[in-house]
Amino acid sequence: MVERTEEAQRKSAAERPEPHIRRIWVKNLSKRFGDLVALKDFELEVEGGEFIGLLGPSGCGKTTALNCFAGLLAPDAGDIELDGESILSVPSERRRFGMVFQNYALFPHLSIARNVSFGLEMEGVGKTEVRERVEEVLSLVHLEEHRDKYPAQLSGGQQQRVALARAVVTRPRIILMDEPLSNLDAKLRLEMRTEIRRLHQTLGLTTIYVTHDQEEALSLSDRVVLMRDGTIQQVGPPKEVYAEPASAYAANFLGYRNLLPVKVTAAEGEHARVATQAGVEISGTLRDHLSPGEDAVAAIRPEDVSVVPPDRKEQGAFSGTVELAEFLGRDSELSVPGELGEPLIARTTGDWKVGSKVSLQLPPERLFVFTKEG
Amino acid sequence: MSKMMSRWGIDRNLLLLLGPALVLVVALFVWPFLYGIGVSLTPGPGREGFLSNYAAFLGDVRERASIWNTLWIAIPVTIANVLVAVPIAYRMRRPLKGQRPISAVFVVPMSLGVVLVAEGMLTFFGPAGWFNKVLLTLGVVNEPLQLVHNYIGVLISLFIAEFPVVFLILLGYASGIDPNLERAGRMLGAGAWQRFSRITLPLMMPGVAIAAALSFVATFAVFPSAVLVGEPAGATRVIALAAWQAAYERFDFGEASAIAITMAAIELVCVAAILLGRSRLYRGPTGGGKG
Repeated sequence: MVERTEEAQRKSAAERPEPHIRRIWVKNLSKRFGDLVALKDFELEVEGGEFIGLLGPSGCGKTTALNCFAGLLAPDAGDIELDGESILSVPSERRRFGMVFQNYALFPHLSIARNVSFGLEMEGVGKTEVRERVEEVLSLVHLEEHRDKYPAQLSGGQQQRVALARAVVTRPRIILMDEPLSNLDAKLRLEMRTEIRRLHQTLGLTTIYVTHDQEEALSLSDRVVLMRDGTIQQVGPPKEVYAEPASAYAANFLGYRNLLPVKVTAAEGEHARVATQAGVEISGTLRDHLSPGEDAVAAIRPEDVSVVPPDRKEQGAFSGTVELAEFLGRDSELSVPGELGEPLIARTTGDWKVGSKVSLQLPPERLFVFTKEG
Repeated sequence: MSKMMSRWGIDRNLLLLLGPALVLVVALFVWPFLYGIGVSLTPGPGREGFLSNYAAFLGDVRERASIWNTLWIAIPVTIANVLVAVPIAYRMRRPLKGQRPISAVFVVPMSLGVVLVAEGMLTFFGPAGWFNKVLLTLGVVNEPLQLVHNYIGVLISLFIAEFPVVFLILLGYASGIDPNLERAGRMLGAGAWQRFSRITLPLMMPGVAIAAALSFVATFAVFPSAVLVGEPAGATRVIALAAWQAAYERFDFGEASAIAITMAAIELVCVAAILLGRSRLYRGPTGGGKG
């Protein structure tokens, strides 16, 4: 199964079909619900064939944005252009967009085949062609033998596949996905993640995918759009967003689990010295313009903290004692209080017992210093 | 015995809990029903034979006509109620502005009772009532419409009386349908009518069947409005009226019981037919999946 998927992926990478659109341009989209600003000046350009991950915590406006794209919500201001034409006045049922819902929204009274054929029937596609296309897409999601069953007879993962099949069978211009994996267990989620990326590539889809899971967004997307309070915080390829978060907020959301409140003591170019609340000085890299004396946040990822035995302590390292150790399979995550005052979280393949004395090194180029946010 | 009971999942506590309800059901329903069957099978004065009371009712053209009279009222009222309530319930499936006052207007007739509604109708729809006055003033008609003391009057009265039940049942079904299903339909290109006819209505149909069955049973047993706003000597001489006349005008309890049992049998057959139809419909969850 896994091999088959990988093979399909390699094959499809070579002969990927042309996307159905050239470009979608979202211009200054805004939407309020009463006093709540759900979306503010949302601006995004998506190339045909791209996979965009809209990432953010619940309430950040990502689903509002998706519903505006779908036409299920009317924005208060702004425009959406598809290949140069505004689609705001086009109702959802004529946008020819596909959508995958968080709860799948399969029609419970229709068989799997009828669920999948629904969109084709609406288009008035001939019976023979409907049958062929339904068979084709059902085999694409490995559900051929379930065609006559009803949604309630399928498992969560299978229902998810039906939802995908139903959304792609009409060859939509864009496919919108609203947290499609959040109802699945961890193992299935990984499987379906591969499946979604595979479908995206094999069918030449243009996908906009909403999620609150950074791992999902990073692994699936060509570009990640990080959102906060209805605005875009950062846009970029996963590698870039991961390696170079634009703010303390972005860093926090992208797995920089060590966020220390600090004060800048010296700044030169992008090099900075900051003091923790316990008064310990560390070196880092400035990501915002900051002057000595200003409050700031120092961020470093657990995997960038290196843990060494205390006797091998080098300059710029800090000593501490392992307080908690969580085994994660390939490596472990340690919580280490010590000289810095606050406990640091470190990820390491070393086998450290609770109570061990260790030395922590924080590489200055991986320790980012951001403006403190309100 | 106790072994068998436990195999059926019955234990003494369950029987104790069931006790009061069983006593009530037996005393108020099963016993009178069996008693009625007994009376209906006991030949009345001047009759002979086991089914003679039934023969007396069904053999008399005028008496027998009460069955058709009743069906001719109950079926159209039930159909009209469903046809009117389905679109309104569909429209109100999501909370609307003014939902509560609108619902109250629909539901109030239920609390008024048939007699009060009939009283109101006599004044409102009567030859000198507001309704006819408005029509006359507007020049829509030249002489007052005859809307009470006839078949139409009974239809209107029963429609008003039964509508709330049908509406409330359908509203429950319609608002229980996952709103994402219609959104999914929209995204797949379905217009408003297609979304209604292909998604919402099929999911509401089990509710339609239940509402229709209840409305039918209630209207089939019509009695007060058939007399008050109907034409009890003619077109609206319904089966309940026939039974009442047999019992309390002719004191022929045998035939009255036979009529009552016939009425129950017709209701059972009709309700069974509706429920059989319902069992062929989709009756599963009205949500679109997990979550």
